Order: sequence, then C-alpha cells, then structure tokens
Amino acid sequence: MDALNNLMFGFGIALDPINLMYVFIGVFAGTLIGMLPGLGPISALALMIPITFNLPPATGLILMAGVYYGAIFGGSTSSILLNAPGVAGTVATSFDGYPMARQGKAGKALAIAAYASFIGGTLSILGLMLIAPLLSKVAVSFGPTEYFALMVLGLTAVVSLSDKSLIKGLIAAVLGMMISIVGMDLQTGTERYTFGTLQLIEGIDFLVVALGIFALAEVFYMLLNPQRKNTPRNQIGSLKLSGAEVKEIAAPIGRSSILGFFTGVLPGAGATIGSFLGYSMEKRLAKDGNTFGKGNIKGVAAPEAANNAACGGSFVPLLTLGVPGSGTTAVLLGALLVMGVTPGPMMLEQRPEVFWGVIASMYVGNLFLLVLNLPLIPYIARILDAPRPLLLSLILIFCMVGVYGISFNTFDLVMLLIFGLIGLAMRLYGFPAAPLILGLILGALMEESMRRALQISGGDWSIFLSKPIALTLLLLAALSLLLPLLRKLRRNRQQPL
Amino acid sequence: MKTLSAVALACATLLAPALHASDWKPTRAIEYIAPANPGGGWDTLVRTTSAVIQAEGLADRNLAPINIPGGGGAVAWAQIARDNRNDHKIFATSPPIILVPLAGTSRFNHQDFTPLARLITDYSILLVHKDSPHQTANDLFAAIKANPRLSVGGGSAAGSMDHISLAGAASAAGIPAAQVNYIAFSGGGEAMTNLLGGHIEAVITGAGEAQGQLAGGQLRAIAVSAPERLQGPLAAVPTYREQGIDYTFDIWRGVMGPKNMRPEAVRYYEQLFSRMMETDSWREATERLGWLDAWQDSATFGEFLDQQQDQFRSVLAELGLLR
Repeated sequence: MDALNNLMFGFGIALDPINLMYVFIGVFAGTLIGMLPGLGPISALALMIPITFNLPPATGLILMAGVYYGAIFGGSTSSILLNAPGVAGTVATSFDGYPMARQGKAGKALAIAAYASFIGGTLSILGLMLIAPLLSKVAVSFGPTEYFALMVLGLTAVVSLSDKSLIKGLIAAVLGMMISIVGMDLQTGTERYTFGTLQLIEGIDFLVVALGIFALAEVFYMLLNPQRKNTPRNQIGSLKLSGAEVKEIAAPIGRSSILGFFTGVLPGAGATIGSFLGYSMEKRLAKDGNTFGKGNIKGVAAPEAANNAACGGSFVPLLTLGVPGSGTTAVLLGALLVMGVTPGPMMLEQRPEVFWGVIASMYVGNLFLLVLNLPLIPYIARILDAPRPLLLSLILIFCMVGVYGISFNTFDLVMLLIFGLIGLAMRLYGFPAAPLILGLILGALMEESMRRALQISGGDWSIFLSKPIALTLLLLAALSLLLPLLRKLRRNRQQPL
Repeated sequence: MKTLSAVALACATLLAPALHASDWKPTRAIEYIAPANPGGGWDTLVRTTSAVIQAEGLADRNLAPINIPGGGGAVAWAQIARDNRNDHKIFATSPPIILVPLAGTSRFNHQDFTPLARLITDYSILLVHKDSPHQTANDLFAAIKANPRLSVGGGSAAGSMDHISLAGAASAAGIPAAQVNYIAFSGGGEAMTNLLGGHIEAVITGAGEAQGQLAGGQLRAIAVSAPERLQGPLAAVPTYREQGIDYTFDIWRGVMGPKNMRPEAVRYYEQLFSRMMETDSWREATERLGWLDAWQDSATFGEFLDQQQDQFRSVLAELGLLR
C-alpha cells in the first residue's frame, strides 16, 4: 500500500499541467533526436542543462528523463528503416527490423517496436517503483570479478549471432574486441594502438563503428548491386498484428523486459548490452531461431523491450545510489547536482517529490510515446518511398552529421568511412556484423574488469572461482557453449544408425 | 537621428583607444571551450560560469560553450594552441593540463597558454566502508604498509588526478608511492559503488562528489586533503595535517586562453570572472555544487601552475609514470 500512496503522490506532481507539458516536450524532442542516427541523448541532455537551470528540480528531471527514454523509444525507427541505428541501444533492432522493412513490412516492424518499447518501458517503471532500494544491493554486489563473469556469459552469444560459419563469427567478435582495446589503458595510463594520434586516446566511439559497419556498408553494398530493387513503393505494409503474432511476441517481450531491466540496473551495462542479451536469448529459445536475422518479428520485439526496460533500470543506481551507470545518466546526475538535488541513498527521504514525481511522469511519458508514435508510423515510413539516389544520400548525410555531432571532429568522419569499407568487405565475404558489435561493447568492460579483479587479488586467478555469483555466471557460460556441442555430438552419433 | 547617433558612435569608437589605451572589449561571441564531453567537471564549470555571467549580464558579448572532447583534453589543447593570439577564445582548465603532458600524451602544457584566473577548488577525500576497521588515514596507511595488496580505488586512470593525490599522501605518510595498489575505475561513482560492495578497501575521490554517499551513512570519510577543515556537511572530516601527515592536494579549476593573448584582454577576463564571483547567482551555484572559491589572478595563477608542475613531476617520477 505504501508504494501505491507514494505513486499517487507522484502522479499528483506528474499530472500538474506544467509538468505534463514538460513530459510531452521531453518525449517529443527525445523521439526526434532518437530517430536521427548518431545524434544521441547525451548531447541533447547537455543542451538542456541551461533550460533546467531555471526549473524546479522535479520538473527539470521529468523533462530530461523524457528526452532519455524518448530517444531510446525513437531510436528504433532509423534502425528499422535505414539500417542506421539511431542510438547505441537500438543496434540489435536492425538485425531483424531492417530485413522486415526490405520485405515491405516496415509498418509492422515499427508497430512491434513501439508496442515492445512501451511494454518494456512500463514494466521497468514498475520494477523501479517496487524494488529499487532492494535492487541497489544487488547492483553493489557486482564487483570487477562478477562483471568479468557476466561479460563472458554475454560473449557466448557469439555462437547464436553468427549465422552460417561459427569461425567467421568468432573472427568478427575478436576484431570487435581488438577495436575496443584502442585508446588509453585505465590501469597503466599506457596508450594502445593509437599510433600517436590524439583523437584515438579516448578510444573509438561505439556509434562510429556501428554506423559505419551497418549503415554506410549498406549504402556501399546497394551502390555495388544496382540491379537489386529497393523496397517498392507503397509497401509499408499493414500496422496490424494478427492474433497469432501477438501471441508469438508476448513471451519474448516479457522475458526481454525483465532481462533488460536487470541489465540496466548494473552500472556500466545498460541499454546496448541489454538489447543484445535479449536478442540472443530469444534466438536461442526460439524454435525458428534460424529465421532470426531474416525478418523475424521476435527479433524486433526482444531488443526493443530490453533496451527500454534497461533505460528504466538505469535509473535505479542513479536515484538510489547516486551512481551513474552510463554516459547519459552521468549527464543526468550532473544536471541534478546543478539543480541542487544530490541523488543517492538520502534522496527518497529528502526529495520524495523528485523521486516519485519522475517515476509517475515515466508512466505518462511512455503512454504519450505510444500515442505519439503509432499514428506517425505511416508518414515516417514513407521515407522508404524516396527515390534511391535520394535515400542513399540521405543515409550518408545522417551518418556524417551524427558522427560529427559526437566529437565535432573530422577525424571521426574518416573513421566512419574506414568502418564502412570494413563493413562492406565483411558483407562481401560473409562475415556477420553482429558479433563484431558484441565484441566491441563487451570486450572493453570484460578486459577492464578482469584486470581490476586480478589487481585486487594480487594476480591470483582463483578469485574468479571463489565468488559465488561469478562462479555461477561462468558455469552458465560454459553450459551455453557446451550444450549445443553435446546436442550436435549426439545427433552425429545417432545418424550412422 | 539615426545617422547622428551612428556618427557619434563612430567617433567614440575612433577616440576610445586613444582615451583608454588599456580597455579591450570583445567584438564578437567568445568561444568558451570545455575540453571534454558534456557532463564532466570541465563541462559543468563552463556551463555554470557562462550561465551566471549571462544571467547577471556581465559580459559585453555572448559566451558560447563548446565541447571539444578527446585525448583527456589534448585534442582541444592542440586546437587552442594553434589559435595563437585569439582574444575571443577561452577554456576551462584543471590539474590534467599539467598531468597529461607529464605523462607524455600532450605536446602542449600550461606554459603554452595564458592563465586568466583560478576560480574554485575541490579537495580529495579518502573514504572507507562504514564497517571498516580503519578509523584514521594513519590506520589505513599502516595497513597498506603491512599488506601492500590492499586496494584503493579512484575515479581516474593511473597517473591522473586521483592516483597522484593518493600517491602523494602515501608518500607523505612514509610509504613508497609505487607500493599503493591503486585500482582505476572510470569514475568516482563507480569506485564508490565498489567500496559499498566491499570489493575494495578504500576510495579516493573528490569531496564534492562524495557528499551524497556520505550523507547516506554507508561510507565514512577518514581524511580530506584541504589545509583546514571544510565548512558545512564535511566539517567533521579531519585533514591529513591534523593526523600528522603534512600533505594537501587541490583539485583546482580555472580559465585559460591561447598564448600571447593581449594584456588588455587578459585584464578584461580577470575582471569579468572576479565580478562574476561576487554575484549572488554565483554564490548560489557554488553552494549547490559544493565548490569553494579559490580566486587567483592571472599572474598568481601562472606561478601556482609552475609550482604544481614541480610537485606533480616528483610524484609521477616516484610512481615511474613520468615520460
């Protein structure tokens, strides 16, 4: 009952006309920003800090939170339509969303993304409301050792993400991990693979790689294959889902929401890792796993539910521990401090209006997003109607503007081009792109965690086996690698009979 | 009427240099650079100071905040260093302008720029878990001496601010700086989470950053690097000096411009920021952010930077990280 009372109190704040207006402005701006490839929520939030300066803290956070989850919500649009992820968290959505769009089912893909985002977002707010203080204890129990084990478990997804050849998938994953090494090493301050260039000291931005490997490579590929027809006119397709389809995506959305939420709760993991884990989990669980990557509706539903749930989950460490779990929540934390609110263990007692007001506003905001996005789908999807030369130039411009917006540096444009060419070569020679991205996002965190754990233990490797959470995660990883092998062995043994 | 005033204005502009040779005013918007991504310390300084200056109407032209991330600041420094004599470009600065070049990743150091003013300072704070057996900084250093494997986390890379602050304190307490097992996390928040979970023994971070956690009561502060006790919520935290360790460490922040900025422009910015620090909006902002005023004018700031360089160089050398 207590939570209900608090929520009512929160709704009292969120439904105040002024706050309602800011929720709307926030989610609207967020969706737009999310739709534009590369332009992420971080820079949008930074631009808003001066505006929030003059607002009451609750209103300011309501606005900024709206921009954040609005961007994750809207980010799926360009992933699906253009194969150009709008924000980092929606890379996995393009694996099946883009093939669906090419098959003339863009409308359905966008609708599924919207429903899945809405449900994932709403479930995560429930989690945030009911078990946030409890969860902060779980988040704290994850040290370097546990993170390393979690990343190892995440990397086993390579097996399911590499469709034809496991060897090629592994090569791509290793390449991704190598890219993640570039930059200054935190533990020693040594530069690695920077070739003396200043621009590489802080590493290669994830979005530069993702936009290059996916969007730019797609543009090059289309240029090389002019005979291939672009999606024909007026084939946006119906938005309606059949009863069977609803049934098919219900369970994946539920599971991925929960998985995504918990991933979001862990500082450092976040929406990108959550969406990848959701995608590969569903691919393994599905009976029709081999159609993933070719336009399976579950392949859109799972990552979209997961990334929106992770976005809600990332508010747990921010609001209960005062610890930002990602770049975006770090900017939020900074903005809150400027507004005179110190997030952390005391916030619930000192500033309940901020805590509960924001949570209630998220319910409202998610509803706004659904109502705002669904009717717009036919109009937005019409971008596919554009003549091919125009569409290709448009993708190119979006990518370049987005990448330039990350660091305001032309160096990154050259990097984008290089990764576009690498992506093209990978496509031509049948290397899957998803494992590379997985290696890139997990590799950095895995290496950092491993080295930290070993430095704490004084170089003693048994630290990974002596902690129960880490050990469990590592055993799960071993299982998920061995099970498919055993199954294959058994099948081979049965065949000669 | 319009022509008349235009003529008057033109005369005034022509006469002005003759009348006040020392006066310089910006003729276009001033680029105000944060050499990092949005959200960090430099960015907060740039956005807060420009907001206060704008709100109080202190500057003759707009201050336009610009983020130039990369290389821990080195990308922005390289760009600004090329912009010799540009009087319309300033940037936020702090100890990395000395540490990064010493570590060998920037060709430019503080001597390649014009110091304008030191504005604020924060201090390092040493934290342990509330159930930790260590009651004082001396307890912790004694434990480290007995068992060099004890890990102390910080929010920045090896050889950068938090590490230097810790190594300097250890050195002053009689432990070889290189003997401290420093674990680098990618932010003070992450380091404190690991301390909460009991994964590490202690954490060194900025006092401002630690306030929220300390209020929660799960962590305990055992030393602060200020010369005297801080005011407000951290007044109960003893300094290193009180505990017999002769050591202070400032996380100062200030403003710089390109090399060879004309002296009139330097005067202009000095006055601009000193006037800003007298406003109520500024007082309000510093209170919220836990900043402490630490004003130094251009000349004093320059000398201070040279001293800091000597101090950091010797700590880095002891750590074997000098390049």
